[in-house]
Amino acid sequence: MEVTTLAAASAFLAAVVRMATPIALAGLGETISEKSGVINIGVEAIMLSGAFFSFIGVFTTGSILIGLLCGMAGGVAVSMVHALLSIRCKADQTISGLALNFLFLGLTSFLFLMEFGKSTTLPSIPVIRAMRIPILSRIPLIGEALFHQDPFVYTMLALVLILWILFYKTEWGVILHAVGENPRSADTVGIRVNRVRYLACAANGVLGGLGGTYLAMVKLGFFMENLTSGKGYIALVAVILGRRNPVGVLCAALVIGAAEALQIRLQTMGTAIPSQAFTMLPYLVTIVVLFFSIGKRNDPSALGVPYERDKR
Amino acid sequence: MKMSVQVFVSFLLTAAVVLAVSFLLILMVGSSIPLSVTSFMRGIVGSWYAFSEVLVRATPLILAGLGVSVGFRTGFLNIGAEGQLYMGAIAITALGVYAPNLPAPFMILLAIVLGFLAGGLWSVIPGILKARFGLSEVINTIMLNYIAINLVGILVRTLLKDPSYPYPMSPMLPASASLFPLLPPTRLHAGILIALATAGGIHSLMFHTSAGFRMRAVGVNKRASLCAGISVTRNIVLSSLISGGLAGVAGVCEVAGLHHRLIEGISPSYGYLAIIVALLGGNRPLRIVFSAIGIAALQVGSMSMQRGAGVPTSIASIIMGLLVVMILARKQLFRCKGV
Repeated sequence: MEVTTLAAASAFLAAVVRMATPIALAGLGETISEKSGVINIGVEAIMLSGAFFSFIGVFTTGSILIGLLCGMAGGVAVSMVHALLSIRCKADQTISGLALNFLFLGLTSFLFLMEFGKSTTLPSIPVIRAMRIPILSRIPLIGEALFHQDPFVYTMLALVLILWILFYKTEWGVILHAVGENPRSADTVGIRVNRVRYLACAANGVLGGLGGTYLAMVKLGFFMENLTSGKGYIALVAVILGRRNPVGVLCAALVIGAAEALQIRLQTMGTAIPSQAFTMLPYLVTIVVLFFSIGKRNDPSALGVPYERDKR
Repeated sequence: MKMSVQVFVSFLLTAAVVLAVSFLLILMVGSSIPLSVTSFMRGIVGSWYAFSEVLVRATPLILAGLGVSVGFRTGFLNIGAEGQLYMGAIAITALGVYAPNLPAPFMILLAIVLGFLAGGLWSVIPGILKARFGLSEVINTIMLNYIAINLVGILVRTLLKDPSYPYPMSPMLPASASLFPLLPPTRLHAGILIALATAGGIHSLMFHTSAGFRMRAVGVNKRASLCAGISVTRNIVLSSLISGGLAGVAGVCEVAGLHHRLIEGISPSYGYLAIIVALLGGNRPLRIVFSAIGIAALQVGSMSMQRGAGVPTSIASIIMGLLVVMILARKQLFRCKGV
């Protein structure tokens, strides 16, 4: 009895980490972008594009590496359109992100139907399997969750650490924060504000694209219309909830992942409570947490504001 | 309204690019352009039924689009019309299920008021959070969307479930809680009249009353408004209430005019489309009516194009997204000043 409970708990934790991974990846990307002052509501589009192009990459070439590159490129394509619109055209960033969500929801679905619309079987690709790290994976309870996962999970965990160091312990972090908090001062000391923002947007595309790639290449092994179904918006929630701190974003993603994993468990158990009650949990949690964060705002001052050098 | 030649040309070029991309996409799926165009047109103006379908879809888009525009005027970016619409739908269903014996005119009027309040509640929460505490309304409205959609899912399985069917849906609402059909064989209902009247009302409110002036002033310049004694907080909250309220009324009309019961997924993302409607309509109520009809026509037409010419309906999302991107980039792309 003891052993089975422990095994179930350990499997549950592993599922939580898997659920959290795409959200955390995209959330980390968005964190970089928002720290530089560019808010991108189009994370959904980035992930969808990443999922679609990585799927196409693997499906046509059979190479995982090409799939990864395609996925990241797909994400970057979206985030760079957004960067051009918000930095160069000084457009409203919320509207731009929203428009991109529509554009890429349509585009990926259209291209997918164009390629595979006539085939009767769902085209699929082999999924990437989990890699067991010897010895460490035998740690009770958390071993399975942390050391018997696919490479994306390891990458995500490493990125949390790398970004934390980058943000708070290096000059790059200072520059990134300066550009988002006070672009004029940053400009005055010789930082190229818009170049930093373009780079931050590109990083957002890479990580968001990876998040989408994870869905296509690890979780599902196929593509379908609107495959992300709102994960991009949830990533935005994770960013707010985690207060743009990589560790915080990971924790937020884990909370949301736990709610998701719990919901799937409860659905299969067949409780009387409608599953929607559990699906709703992460959003309720977020709002409640946001209530507590009132007065402790940490939005970058220049979030969503384009930098205009020739204006005061 | 003055419009320079340059601006006019830029609009023309935008249209040309969007059209060219659409034709390219049609060719890419191996369909023919004349066939696609004819089936598109047949879908929206081929018959009275076809045109009525456009108006049926335009009804919630006009109402929710007006709502979004009122929010935009004070700088309240309401991404939550989708959830607010569902709250309105919940309100009328709850009324119809728990008080089915109310007299006819009173019932539907009460339903509209309750729908307005339910939608308004869903938007005034992020409104207050923004105005009083500076929390991002974008995130909060998106989260409330998910909460409302899941709430519908819970309610149609529990409190509002029709006990005589195994499916997740509410019982049929009494006839007193429905909007009368306008052209009986078609699905067109009195909701379109409510939508048009609301457009007139919002126009008067925003441009011919001091309350509307105050809201617009807050949107243009918060600091100047504050100095002139206009309460920024109160006006943002007021505009968010109206904003969500109108989306709630859209939900009431969908249930009262079309479905007559609450089911999941009554809105094929009308709430998100409403943002595009408000944007294309330049936040002006009368233009919003036309942009809503335009977006509805695009949707209905693309469905007909899928049936007639085998072009996937997702072309409609591509066109809308591209249109907004082009409009955002217009000033840079065509190097024109003004507007």
